[in-house]
Amino acid sequence: MEERQYDLIFICRPDTLEADIDKIIATLEHTASEKGAKIEKTDKWGRKRMAYRVHKLREGFYVYMILKSSHGEVVKELERRLKVSDPVIKYLTVRVDEELKRQAKLKHHRERRAARRPRKAAPTAAPAPGAPAGGEQAPAAV
Amino acid sequence: MAESNAPQQQTSGPSGPRSSGGPGGGMRPGGPPKRGKRSFVRKKKVCRFCVDKADFIDYKRAEILAPFIQERGKILPRRMTGTCARHQRWLTVAIKRAQNIALLPFAAEL
Repeated sequence: MEERQYDLIFICRPDTLEADIDKIIATLEHTASEKGAKIEKTDKWGRKRMAYRVHKLREGFYVYMILKSSHGEVVKELERRLKVSDPVIKYLTVRVDEELKRQAKLKHHRERRAARRPRKAAPTAAPAPGAPAGGEQAPAAV
Repeated sequence: MAESNAPQQQTSGPSGPRSSGGPGGGMRPGGPPKRGKRSFVRKKKVCRFCVDKADFIDYKRAEILAPFIQERGKILPRRMTGTCARHQRWLTVAIKRAQNIALLPFAAEL
């Protein structure tokens, strides 16, 4: 089976201790590796103001992870853990491997097209996508 | 000519474009008869994402998405933002994800 990639974001209560958050992360990593998945990256975005109240709270501690797995059941298990864990108030898992594949394909097509055309004005060339186009393997670090 | 006391009905016969007092027809810069909050896109707006050649609209970056929703939290239609169809679809998906993760609001706070 091909490798699937997921974006996993969860939000903890803002008053959670750093140690507890690390504990949650460790639990998730442990669970993932048990099921043969691996967590590629963990990124703590820290305290952020949320756009609406969740459980009567206005702020939350955001954590972002990239998860790679060859099958999907691991996501269910991780989400179950997040659901029962008390400090976590919201979570969202998004499958991104198809998206990334499409991105890579578009980029590839674009670069090939640009290379094929005889380049009249050279200096403008570089097909580096601008800032909003970010979001490749690693998230555009905000 | 049907009189227009009641709200305008769509059943205009084959009598050509309706003129409801404002500039009618779709060709002229005034735009079709007034419906909705603001007037239509006046000049030819370009899609912001096409200009940047974006391959991906990241739901995690609320600052990119924020200009595309109203203060009430509703997603702005294409004709107001000038986005192209493909990017509007991607944008909608991204906005909804961001709303789910509380990076963007669903509705205005009272």
